[in-house]
Amino acid sequence: MSMPSPASRSAMLTGVTGTARLMFYALLAISLMALDHRGRYIDRVRAWAEQAVEPVFWAIELPFEAADQLADQLRERNWLNRRVTELEQELADNRSRLGLLDDLRFENDHLRALLEVGGRTSQRLIAAEIGSADLNPFAHRILVQRGRAHGIRPGMPVLDDQAVIGQVDRVFQGMSRVVLISDPDHALPVQVLPGGERTIAYGSGSLDLLRLTDLPMNAAVRPGDLVVTSGIGGRFPAGLPVARIDRIERPAGRAFATAEATPLARMERNRIVLILETVDESDSPVLEAEEEQTSPTSAASAPEETGR
Amino acid sequence: MTRSGIGLPALTLVLALLLTIVPLPEAIADWRPYWVALVLIYWHLETRHLQSLGAAFTIGLVLDLTTGTLLGRHALSLLIINFLIGRFRNRIRFFPPWQQALAIGALLFNDRIIQLWILGVVQRGWPDWGWWLPPLTGLLIWPWLFLALDATRSRRRAAR
Repeated sequence: MSMPSPASRSAMLTGVTGTARLMFYALLAISLMALDHRGRYIDRVRAWAEQAVEPVFWAIELPFEAADQLADQLRERNWLNRRVTELEQELADNRSRLGLLDDLRFENDHLRALLEVGGRTSQRLIAAEIGSADLNPFAHRILVQRGRAHGIRPGMPVLDDQAVIGQVDRVFQGMSRVVLISDPDHALPVQVLPGGERTIAYGSGSLDLLRLTDLPMNAAVRPGDLVVTSGIGGRFPAGLPVARIDRIERPAGRAFATAEATPLARMERNRIVLILETVDESDSPVLEAEEEQTSPTSAASAPEETGR
Repeated sequence: MTRSGIGLPALTLVLALLLTIVPLPEAIADWRPYWVALVLIYWHLETRHLQSLGAAFTIGLVLDLTTGTLLGRHALSLLIINFLIGRFRNRIRFFPPWQQALAIGALLFNDRIIQLWILGVVQRGWPDWGWWLPPLTGLLIWPWLFLALDATRSRRRAAR
């Protein structure tokens, strides 16, 4: 900031007060950032304010939806017929596999009863289309077109057909925002199979890399091992696939080994994701037909809210 | 300085906000210019409409909320842009278009450094080279944006 240009006295004066105002607003901005980053003091304010920007997302969404509908109407009949046959085949295929699974589930229930393992929660999957809006690439957030009206709550796990993508971060009326597991602020309790080591998978800020820290030095973790959720913390059910180990480092002089892993999910390259609705047994005794019984989770707690 | 209403600046800012989150093909997503800053600069330079630091701060906060970034990052960024424009307004206004575009480009580049600093404080990792593309696009788009907004503004005035 050099000398003010040909300066009349009033311009000088506004220059001085201008600098004071700049300092004031800059301090305000910096303290906001500090509060937003460190504590969660203004989380509620932020949540409230973000409800107000939902119309912006819809404004983006509508033209794309209209284009989609137009494309649907123009699509050729024989293409559709072919697609239907394909999908029917796939359905038949999956049905036969499901039959097998039912059998296993029955057996599993039986074994579980023998072991007297309790604390089961029922879960339902809600399919949600990914919105068109492209949020800031450094935010690791995606928008999905299911919101409070569809029963989405903050903290619900989000999956694609392969693995865990992230969890619901902010819920709007008809949309919600998902924070990806690759977000640098996200921490996911995981277990490495087949060794069974429990640790935390941290996002790295890049979509294809997770960091596993705090592994014991003698951990039997090898490249290629599967990383699944451990169920600790209660937000994610145990056993959902997450990533595959790329490499493991055992730096000399450190107490713990660290590993790098590649997420199995296609992260933001999906069109449809599944949101795992965790139903508390207490408030919904009626189970629906497509409901899925999955592994036990402890009482839902909130390990870390990753709102930024 | 014109005495037209705040309607047109507000409308263009909303458009800029939409352009900020409209999906782009992956190949050119990195080239997305800093739309909100460009529009803000235009209105400040030409009409002094959005010249107050408070306006820049508020617009920045809305941008932060919309893009889900750290609250205050764009507020600080637009604040500094608006301050610098205020300081050099009298010079930049009378630059020939290409020189004006260069000045705006430099300003946006400076803003990238500020945002990089914020990013560096709050998260690990270094953005890749795509980080530096938006000022370049901003520089190239500026003359056209300037002409387009000027035309809209004069048509508005003629219609009145």
